[in-house]
Amino acid sequence: MISKKRTTLEVCEKVTTMCHALQHGGPDDEGIYMDESNGLVFGHRRLSIIDLSSNGHQPMSDATARVWITFNGEIYNYLELKETLIASGVKFHSNSDTEVIIQAYLFWGMASFSKLRGIFAFGLYDIQKQLTYLVRDSSGVKPLYYMVKDGELSFASEVRALKKAGLATESDKSWQVRFLAFGHIPEPYTTQKDVYSLPKGEFLCWYHSKNSYEIHSYHVATPKTIINVAEQAKELIRNVLGHAVSRQLVADAPIGVFLSGGTDSSILTILANQHRHTQLKTISIYFDEKAYDESQYQNMILAEIEGEKFAHLVKQSDFEEFIPQIIEDMDMPTTDGINTWFISRYAHQDGLKAVLSGVGADELFGGYPSFNRIKFLKKLKRLPRLSFSAAKLFTSDKYRKISFLAYDHPLADYLLLRGHYPPMDIAEILDMDLSEVEAILFDSKGIPKISNFDELDAAWFETNLYMQNQLLRDTDVMGMSHALEVRVPFLDEDFKRLVENIRLDIRFDDLQPKKLLIDSFSDLLPEAVWNRSKMGFTFPLQQWMKDHEQISDSNYYQGKKAKQIIKDFKKSTMHWSKAFALYQIQRYA
Amino acid sequence: MTRTLAHSLDHVSKEQQWDFKLWSLYDSRYDIMRQYLEPENFIGFGRSRRRLALNTLSKGTKADTLILSHINLALIGIIVKILNPKCKIWLVAHGIEVWRPLSILKSLFVKRFCDRVICVSNFTKQQMISWHHVDPQKCTVLNNVVDPFIKHPEEFDKPEYLLNRYSFTKANQVIFTLTRLASSEQYKGYEQVIKAVARLKDRFPKLKYILAGQYDSTEEIRIKELITACRVEEQVILTGFLNENELADYFLLADLFVLPSKKEGFGIVFIEALACGLPVICGNADGSVDAIRQGELGTAINVNDLDELEKAISSYLQTPLTTETRHLLQQQCLSYFNEEDYKKNLLKMISEANGN
Repeated sequence: MISKKRTTLEVCEKVTTMCHALQHGGPDDEGIYMDESNGLVFGHRRLSIIDLSSNGHQPMSDATARVWITFNGEIYNYLELKETLIASGVKFHSNSDTEVIIQAYLFWGMASFSKLRGIFAFGLYDIQKQLTYLVRDSSGVKPLYYMVKDGELSFASEVRALKKAGLATESDKSWQVRFLAFGHIPEPYTTQKDVYSLPKGEFLCWYHSKNSYEIHSYHVATPKTIINVAEQAKELIRNVLGHAVSRQLVADAPIGVFLSGGTDSSILTILANQHRHTQLKTISIYFDEKAYDESQYQNMILAEIEGEKFAHLVKQSDFEEFIPQIIEDMDMPTTDGINTWFISRYAHQDGLKAVLSGVGADELFGGYPSFNRIKFLKKLKRLPRLSFSAAKLFTSDKYRKISFLAYDHPLADYLLLRGHYPPMDIAEILDMDLSEVEAILFDSKGIPKISNFDELDAAWFETNLYMQNQLLRDTDVMGMSHALEVRVPFLDEDFKRLVENIRLDIRFDDLQPKKLLIDSFSDLLPEAVWNRSKMGFTFPLQQWMKDHEQISDSNYYQGKKAKQIIKDFKKSTMHWSKAFALYQIQRYA
Repeated sequence: MTRTLAHSLDHVSKEQQWDFKLWSLYDSRYDIMRQYLEPENFIGFGRSRRRLALNTLSKGTKADTLILSHINLALIGIIVKILNPKCKIWLVAHGIEVWRPLSILKSLFVKRFCDRVICVSNFTKQQMISWHHVDPQKCTVLNNVVDPFIKHPEEFDKPEYLLNRYSFTKANQVIFTLTRLASSEQYKGYEQVIKAVARLKDRFPKLKYILAGQYDSTEEIRIKELITACRVEEQVILTGFLNENELADYFLLADLFVLPSKKEGFGIVFIEALACGLPVICGNADGSVDAIRQGELGTAINVNDLDELEKAISSYLQTPLTTETRHLLQQQCLSYFNEEDYKKNLLKMISEANGN
């Protein structure tokens, strides 16, 4: 936190409170740094993965104490960067990746941010230049929430910390509208007023002398070289992904892989096996409910590798017991993440501090139904718009969602494919004016106009809305709630850039989702694993939610519309996420 | 431009206690930018011509002054004038939309139903007179001005994050063009600049050319072929669409703004560049000359003469502006093209028209 208005003692108290609120993600160590002249205090709770000694203590500075850092995440290319810096005469005193960030900054300045490969969110204080940078990685894997109010800057890895410290006390009522529409709270918004997410790939620069700030992207423009040959694409995918997995396995503490039995985690497991230095640990989940049990596919992969399998049974009673804790650990409401909570819990119990996860492959290679549906959407939009408003008259969910087409806004297109409740339902549930709901949902800037309705547009939506706001955020917060760092090799910067350079018709296939990825590993990946319907780490939540006493009890809910929806839920095939969304709104009320 | 006009009219109206409303055909109600205008004074018709027409008949006819921001709204002007002859109908004439023969309806409107034409430049005024025989007395030149909400830089250092983005050093000399790159356009000034850069790159080895603006895929292929043919792949950077909030930083990154165009009604982009202390080169046969005050603030060249363009660019590159001269240029620009004067002129025009 940076404040010239309060005493340093007060600022220190706030930061300490924030640290305590984040203890779950950093059980190994705590640190504080303060600079009275600028009213700056950095706090840190450590999860030691690289350099487990006290040399990795944070907040950390260089030998001359010109620069101080508080950092969350991992820099995967830290050894390469370190080599380059040492060759230029730089001296290091630890084996930590944190120190590499500091020295890289001292050597290259702001240009160092784009040289980092990894998952990170950090605050860096440059005493000499009287600047503080807040920096977030290019995929937004690691969270960074900030708040500027009355000339004071505060930031933390979870909104909870800012709330507990008494800094973000006002909730922003719009969150309910967004949550019911999206099933999460889309960036940059949060549940609290004045608290925002720093966008991925961007940095905030705070000028201490002027008490003002600017936010810019640190992205470096590189020329695109389109890959036109399928064979070349496949070879590059194998090499670059292999390299990404290899460097993301770097850890001094135990690391493993989430193995769901699906294509993505299977590929990662196979690659990790090739690059491992010690026996590979895999974490899997299975159920009594046979329809959801992917054990046979998990076992197929395990037969190919030398690894230690940790498999855990998740029962309905576990769900009932832990759902309050899960909601508490979410930090912000979401209808996803339950699966990650469980698997992270078991990974932690099995002694792991970091895991590799297959998030990102679907967005890059077209693994979702939306990639095909978006083309259908283009045809639908040619119909006269008036007809879409008539969707109000339908009672079935699917048809009511068509009302989204009446809005001429790209977000509305996304919500048609992925959204939970259409605006007219949200207005009824929350007892608001429809126009108010619409203004909240469609006022966001920075959404490009989609023009082609092709896979690239779908990829943009899935990456920047669903994956970013829901998958990545939920994965990180659920992992950290169990002191587990989740790493995502598919989102390695170099791998992403490679895939984005592949010619569209090679990258996406109309019939087989993720065809290119599967073909790239066809000799290693058993057919049975990929040639089946997508499961996506699915839990038997439809049944479990219906059976949960409170969630499915319409009496628990206020408001006629909400009660009605829950009654419908019990009787029909309405998706459980809609009920779960209402449940969370009710709990927060 | 309409945003600034709306903002100015809103302010003036508040001061004078007039009732002002902005009706926009193409905007939707979500497009209101609150800092320019309060939502109550704005209606976005979201492309519904029917609704606009109905509203015009019911409410528009009650106005004292109706300002149409584009000649395509001519029919509205005619209807209102017929129904309420006392209403003053004004037209804003920008550029190419009036530098050509007009349809019978629009011609009729301009000759018989329009009381005043606000021309954004002297060039447009001349065009109105020569093409459409509009009475010169009816034409008033009111140059566009800089957007009041865009912050103008106080320091002129090149922004580090942009230097990093393009891997430039402070030693690089940067030429900048910002325009829409459309395959449908016949004449494209930026092609001339690319060719000029090809000629200049040996003499100025640190030269870079940032060509910014939205392009379609056909045009992208064409430009890239031209770049390859001219062998300026190292020099030319295509950025695509630029974020509005980074625009001022691009003007600071650049050493010179070049847009040899034939079709600027006024060329707001030139005064935006000048407002960041960036010198400009424009064409000499359109409204741009007003933006550079007939040569006081910049250089106007014959767009068909590549030699002249090359010479003009190289002259700026050889003697680049200092921080002081950039600051002076900025102040000069703002002294002529600021919103305060714009409001005063508007107030004068409206008051005179209504006999105050």
